[in-house]
Amino acid sequence: MNTTLDTRDSATIVMATGRLDFEASDPFQKELETVIAQAATRHAAVLVNCAGIDYVSSAGLRVFLVAARSAKAANVALSVYSLSVAVKQVFDVSGFGRIINVYEDEASALAGVGSAA
Amino acid sequence: MITIAEELVLLAVEDDGKIAYTAGSPEFAMALVGACLIELNLAGRIDADVDSVKVLSPAPTGIGVLDFVLDKISAGNSKSSRAWVRDLHSHYTELFRLTLRLLLERGILQQTESRFMWALRSRRYPVIDDREQKEAKLRICALLLSDDIPTPHDTVLISLAVEGGLLESFLSRNQIAQLAERIDQIGGLDLIARAVEDAIRDEAELRVSAVMMAVH
Repeated sequence: MNTTLDTRDSATIVMATGRLDFEASDPFQKELETVIAQAATRHAAVLVNCAGIDYVSSAGLRVFLVAARSAKAANVALSVYSLSVAVKQVFDVSGFGRIINVYEDEASALAGVGSAA
Repeated sequence: MITIAEELVLLAVEDDGKIAYTAGSPEFAMALVGACLIELNLAGRIDADVDSVKVLSPAPTGIGVLDFVLDKISAGNSKSSRAWVRDLHSHYTELFRLTLRLLLERGILQQTESRFMWALRSRRYPVIDDREQKEAKLRICALLLSDDIPTPHDTVLISLAVEGGLLESFLSRNQIAQLAERIDQIGGLDLIARAVEDAIRDEAELRVSAVMMAVH
């Protein structure tokens, strides 16, 4: 799994690509924790672009749960957008949309951050 | 920290050491299987998606009840966690016995035997140190009454306690009804816990079908 970061004024965008399985879950979780901690210091949001995630396992889904907890504790808005078919499937099954904001695309995610600020 | 399977069994131990009637239900059995699957997932022995369970390593964990389940999955055909929950719940007696043994070995429970009318043997499991049991109940109540996002461990504990019918042992039906929305919010956040819910629904539908066939 690969990630790239794009730091904007109001948000850090995490572009994640590849398989989010057990093997990838720990490093991805650590990376998200770091991004959330940095975002907290500059009062920015964290947006995860999920378009490139082509597989999510139960271990991978827990990464989002832990990230949501960390973001809430750090008072950072965490959202996901552009869900791939794989991510949408597990988010639909698990009802994750009830604890994380889900947006169609980057523009609406950034607008959501703006309206929340 | 004790395993989720141990926490579920502890929740089924009543104040007088009797095992709650609920613990004999298929729902509790399937919740116990789900707890083992999730522990194996957390331990890196298996991973699961909506369609299948994949064995990452068949190496024993050293925890009897988990290794019992891991052996079955390693030796079996590929299938979904929902199907594994349904299949393995028939081994409930062994899973329950192994989980009880863990709690006895840890000194959390003790086993006592008595005889009723000098003949009928009665076995109880009084809690020696009720810290873990109280803590599990308190964690569940605190999370249900707040809007906090639970840890993965607590997400699963709440989901499985709900599915296994254990909330009724410390919350009234009225309280559970009032917390229904929150229970539903937390309930599905783990894919394997969600599979337990689906498996329980499958079994209930099968039972209804069997009754309908018997009636006709």
